[in-house]
Amino acid sequence: MISNFKKLIAYRELLFSLTKKELKVKYRGSVLGFFWSLLNPVLMMLVYSFVFSMILRQGIQEFAIFLLCALLPYNFFSNSVNYGSGSIISNANLVKKIYFPKEIIPLSIVLSNLINFLLELVVLFIVLSIFGYKFYMYLYLLPVVILVQVLFVSGISMLISALNVFFRDLQHLITILMLVWFFATPIIYPLSMVPQRFQFWMQLNPMAVFTSYYRNIFYFVKYPEDMYWPSLEIILICLGITFLFFFMGYFIFKRLEPKFAEEV
Amino acid sequence: MAKKNTNANKKNNMQQATAGDVAVDVQGVTKHYIIRHQKSPSLKDEKKDRLLKGKDTVEEFLALDDVSFTIKHSETFGIIGSNGSGKSTLLKLIAQVLKPTKGQVMVNGTVSALLELGAGFHQDLTGRENIYLNASILGLKRKEINKRFDQIVEFSELERFIDMPVKSYSSGMYMRLGFSIAINVNPDILLVDEVLSVGDQAFQSKCYKVIYDFIRRGKTIIIVSHDLETISDLCKRVLFLRKGKIELMGDSIQVVSRYRAYVEELERIRIAEQQKEERKKIFKSIIDSKRKVVAAEEIEKLSKIDGGASFEGRFGKGDAEVTKIEMSDEAGNLIDFCKSDAVAHITLEVKFKNLVENPIFGIRITDHRNSVVYGTNSRLLGIKTGVYKPGDKLKVTFGQKINLIGGHYFVTISIGHKDGKTYCDWINNVMTINVLRKNNSEGIADLNSEMIIKQI
Repeated sequence: MISNFKKLIAYRELLFSLTKKELKVKYRGSVLGFFWSLLNPVLMMLVYSFVFSMILRQGIQEFAIFLLCALLPYNFFSNSVNYGSGSIISNANLVKKIYFPKEIIPLSIVLSNLINFLLELVVLFIVLSIFGYKFYMYLYLLPVVILVQVLFVSGISMLISALNVFFRDLQHLITILMLVWFFATPIIYPLSMVPQRFQFWMQLNPMAVFTSYYRNIFYFVKYPEDMYWPSLEIILICLGITFLFFFMGYFIFKRLEPKFAEEV
Repeated sequence: MAKKNTNANKKNNMQQATAGDVAVDVQGVTKHYIIRHQKSPSLKDEKKDRLLKGKDTVEEFLALDDVSFTIKHSETFGIIGSNGSGKSTLLKLIAQVLKPTKGQVMVNGTVSALLELGAGFHQDLTGRENIYLNASILGLKRKEINKRFDQIVEFSELERFIDMPVKSYSSGMYMRLGFSIAINVNPDILLVDEVLSVGDQAFQSKCYKVIYDFIRRGKTIIIVSHDLETISDLCKRVLFLRKGKIELMGDSIQVVSRYRAYVEELERIRIAEQQKEERKKIFKSIIDSKRKVVAAEEIEKLSKIDGGASFEGRFGKGDAEVTKIEMSDEAGNLIDFCKSDAVAHITLEVKFKNLVENPIFGIRITDHRNSVVYGTNSRLLGIKTGVYKPGDKLKVTFGQKINLIGGHYFVTISIGHKDGKTYCDWINNVMTINVLRKNNSEGIADLNSEMIIKQI
């Protein structure tokens, strides 16, 4: 276990260059290149603003911002898992020919999506400042929330990418699972809209807890009376589930890793 | 369990390196592959299979069977064997890409594997970006890559193309870049799998220079190749794998020549198998037609497609018959092999059943590819053979110097009628001559070259 981690640390340069590769390849050939990472959230916001202020009117103020501060973290999660699920198979040439800790492959995808997410957050900051959100009030919480989410996302990504080598149907299921997960997480609706008796159960989903934090930090700073801070119990459960997934993902990945070269 | 050592844990390496001068230690390694047959003859069957067993039909394939050997530091070690003998599996086990089913593989030192050049190149990235990516996959740090970057580019001769995406490279350029990166990783142990045939002549000789340089610097090199010249040239010790087992290991000249003989044998069997059907067809047509006389063209055809030392390739009118055939040396001792340059006597006993005038006794020697190495007959030699009545017996001896390079050769015997078109008896490949191999030349004919070197 410890020697495995040491090895991973020794190979950190590879993790970074694979991450760089992911980012480079994503925007290679497009004129605007990585500016798309910045442009995307702006365009998304414009679309959502239009749809929800003109067509689907409801009572939430500045809905586009309400949505975006939960959607960006969710996209980080779902993109990582979606791309990560097929990553071992699509890197078959590496897996079969070269020895290195293979968890670097899904982790590089998580990392490249994290960088993307951080760039999008920069855009969000700009938009928030324009609309007079005092998001700096609770900003000190942000690194912690992101760190915990990265652990969770990494765990799920490693788990799915390893299992997918043996059960290829998984890749197709994941798309649907991510859609279900999307609606099970309070992203397009506030948690307060959920009937009281379901709220606890919904928050067993760590993504729901992360969302509460992101929303407090970015959105509810302007409407402090609606702020909802998860209880200590929920925080502990969320941390427990996150670590469980991270270590389970890692262990299962390491367990299956020796068989990858034969199966891909 | 296999113990892994990569450049990742150098500390560990140091400890193990002090344990001895062993670079690679393979002990009792067995590797099973599981082959899934996904395609059943019909969809219905497949569904039934899946429902009943819940799995695809599975077959186990034994790629390596209890293989043990050690390679010392600074050794150049070759692995040879026909396709499917487990060479590449063995190399992948040493490269730690695969894990053995049983046994253990221990590796002391950093390994760079030239298993497939350019594995891990990304099509959309430029040559420069791919150098950084690929070198880091092979375990180099950024600083080290910076230091070696110019060297890599220079070696690959791709200066002008280094900022183009590799998808625009030709396959040769691709391989050259891959090779340049792999050798510049500067490993303790270099694994080479059939990749020395990269690029044009000039680049190849550069590759060899690098390999020789590696050898001189005391690196350990393990080479898998079908190119026996390269193997015997570079390696001191060679391992010959056959169906996952060690057939022979030791001095390269000895092992390579054993392997050559094995390959020739395989090739002979393959040709024989392939031509068996055709031969049968022609024989069948001859037998069906109940002809007693077979035309010369047909015999020509038959003799060309024969293989295997058997009496199957025998036909003729039967006016005379070969009853015995043997080979002896000059002193008259029976032999079944001979040395290159020795004289061999091939003697046949012939029994006549009808009156035959001036029969033509012929001999033909072919190699395993069925090319005629030598052939003659009494008419060509200008020998009058005489007239024979039924019941007459005769002993005919062909004496010849076997100026052949080693290998298996086959003897075909014929007794023809004086018209030269029909035969009393024809026996294809009735005897095998095993010629002991001389290790100073190659080919079929032994022309006994003498070399003179003079300073001018």
